Amino acid sequence: MSTNPPLLPLGIEVPFSEIEVTLGSLDDGKRAPGRSLTATIVVVGPHARLAEAAQAVEQLTDVGVRAILISDGDNPAPSVRVLDHAVALEGLRPDYLNNAVAALRLSSLPMLVWWRGGSPDVLDGLADLADRLVFDVEDPAAVWSRAKTLSERTATSDLRWTKLTRWRALMAQFFDLPEVRDAARSFNRIAIEGADLPAARLYAGWLASSLEWTSTVAIDVRARPGGASIESIEFGDGDQALTLSLGASGRCVETTARVQGRVAASRVGYLGDQGLAALIGEELRIRSRDHAFERAVAAAQGVV
Amino acid sequence: MVSLPLNPLQDGLRLEPTPGPATLVIFGASGDLTRRKLLPALYRLSRDQRLPARFSIIGVAREEFGDDGFKQEFRESLREFAGLTDEDEVAHSLSERMRYVGGDFKDPAIYQQVARHIAEMDSSGGVLFYLAIPPGAYPNVIEQLGAAGLSGSTDGGWRRIIIEKPFGTDLQTARELNQIVHRHFDEEQVFRIDHYLGKETVQNLMAFRFANGMFEPVWNRRYIDHVQITAAETVGVERRAAYYEGAGGLRDMVQNHLMQLLSLVAMEPPIAFTAESVRDRKMDALLAALPLGPEHVVRAQYHAGWVTGAEVPGYREEPGVDAASTTETLVALKVQLDSWRWAGVPFYLRTGKRLPKRTTEIAIQFRRPPLQIFKRVSQSSVAPNLLIVNVQPDEGISVRFEAKLPGTRMQLAPVMMNFRYGTAFGGTVPEAYETLLLDAMLGDPTLFARHDFVESSWALITPVHERWRAEALTALPAHEAGEWGCPEMDALIERDGRRWRTL
Repeated sequence: MSTNPPLLPLGIEVPFSEIEVTLGSLDDGKRAPGRSLTATIVVVGPHARLAEAAQAVEQLTDVGVRAILISDGDNPAPSVRVLDHAVALEGLRPDYLNNAVAALRLSSLPMLVWWRGGSPDVLDGLADLADRLVFDVEDPAAVWSRAKTLSERTATSDLRWTKLTRWRALMAQFFDLPEVRDAARSFNRIAIEGADLPAARLYAGWLASSLEWTSTVAIDVRARPGGASIESIEFGDGDQALTLSLGASGRCVETTARVQGRVAASRVGYLGDQGLAALIGEELRIRSRDHAFERAVAAAQGVV
Repeated sequence: MVSLPLNPLQDGLRLEPTPGPATLVIFGASGDLTRRKLLPALYRLSRDQRLPARFSIIGVAREEFGDDGFKQEFRESLREFAGLTDEDEVAHSLSERMRYVGGDFKDPAIYQQVARHIAEMDSSGGVLFYLAIPPGAYPNVIEQLGAAGLSGSTDGGWRRIIIEKPFGTDLQTARELNQIVHRHFDEEQVFRIDHYLGKETVQNLMAFRFANGMFEPVWNRRYIDHVQITAAETVGVERRAAYYEGAGGLRDMVQNHLMQLLSLVAMEPPIAFTAESVRDRKMDALLAALPLGPEHVVRAQYHAGWVTGAEVPGYREEPGVDAASTTETLVALKVQLDSWRWAGVPFYLRTGKRLPKRTTEIAIQFRRPPLQIFKRVSQSSVAPNLLIVNVQPDEGISVRFEAKLPGTRMQLAPVMMNFRYGTAFGGTVPEAYETLLLDAMLGDPTLFARHDFVESSWALITPVHERWRAEALTALPAHEAGEWGCPEMDALIERDGRRWRTL
């Protein structure tokens, strides 16, 4: 018997076979009118990592998403709780993961799998069912090494990549300035600091693959334990450099483009909501393959 | 490294495209529109990283409050209309790139000052002029911009102009204004704004019609009985009496907003989602409208009544309004389109102030089934199917259809299936002005009115105004504030055997 607190403590405990009927009755009684369902999100991982995801998912069910939380275990008949448009299956044996997902997903609507850990061996099967597979694990080496193969079967992403959306946009917008594009030809160094080395590598991988770097660019990825996942990025050197630094509030990024010793542009960009619900919400809004991610993750594996 | 002729980092970015370096010059920087809409929209665009890396704002107005005063206006605008209690880093950063020019719009010196600021701000990409000023000032400002050489660029960057409604007061003045504009700006530089077109639902109407295979086949006279377009306001004339007295509901709402909505419903499918293709088809729809005779238009004026929980005065008692005013505050029309698709399908339009609730919607009512097979088993009559496009306040689409009531007997009841933008996808729905400002900077005129559309719309409306002027009534039919219209308005639709929707 599991000693973990339930993932949906306010949910109703039901047998697996009663899930749809129960959801239907909740729908009649509790839901606000006018809700349109738009997607299914399946969260898979160890129980400890699903508790955090459950809170995020609760916000997503407010915007028309059916959420299925599945924590791994060794139980062929796990306990089931349902609440609004969310279902939690706790301690399911991994071999039955696909069967559970196939039975519970909304038909005819996109399905996103939010992968928060477990044996990567089940990813191939999930990729065949999912429209999008989003990695979210502490050490991504094992999943990134499979990313290329998985990307041939479904769209892939990583929540680290989602966190980098605005960091990428701020850098990209500098390249709208012709003088920055000209100066960038001579940039031969990039330094990225932050607590999350894989995120820093992914950013460097994105730049490397987008700008088609040769080996002449030195990539300096430095860990800063205890800080934000990315603290600063400096692309270039001295009089010619593009710098992005996390502001004191932690919500904004201060950016400066310096070309030939003068400031070509300088501004503050908002990082946006970096909470789990907002990040996974962003992934839900993307309905196509993310080729930039696929190229970046391939290049990131060569960054040390 | 390889050479980088275009921006290679834009490929695969998740944020939507941003314009290149730009400067926005707002004429009327101290006005209501700037404070309520433009400055908050610019702040939100900046927060969403939709503005270019190098972006500046130059405010121009009569008041002499200088750069610091303009920045203070910006902060107050954000406090009042963007819910920002304290200036954040993004607002501060944006205000660092704000400049102000004070003076009379007739004074050529202010245009030289604007030109100097543009050069100083180094926005080699483009300059967008926004005329947020009274319409009477448009010709002078446009002429002055041309005379100062600001309508064209010497550095290869773009120059564009946004012109607020009303664009003219009748067909003649609209033509004259277009001529003045075209003396200095090419049509592709001109963005005539109608903020209704920036609303998500209005754009979604095109997605709904042309990205789905199931609706377009029934979008015609064979299946549709009639269309009702409603734009209802609870507010009165507020602080706009000086403008509204000369405009009235027909100019203020029908000539622009409602005609745009009508053309979006009625247009044929464009061959591509490009600005000219979409605007050509909208234009075709408008050209199919038959002239509006006296029997097709009803006007009224609100009298004292009770709206949203309070007693309100009549229009003639409002501050700034002539005690003998015959300006219409409520107007209803029956528009008929002489086209293959719409022959015999009336479009009923209504708009008014001091109505019971604020709502704008397009309701498409389908014909009843040809055979009433349930009439012997169901006591209630079968309600026709309805497709409702909610433009505001809750943007979305609803479909009404008949269903069987649970039970052993065959009883029918209408049910609604709703799609709401605010809850379906999550994220925030951009304000219309955000969308439109950005489109203008990106050079996409799809959601802006073209010169010929504006003129055709006036060509339809102007004869009505001329007829009203000739009638020289001393009083209009009364519409009691807080009620849905007046008997004359009801009669307009009831003589066709139909009724206004109760909203």
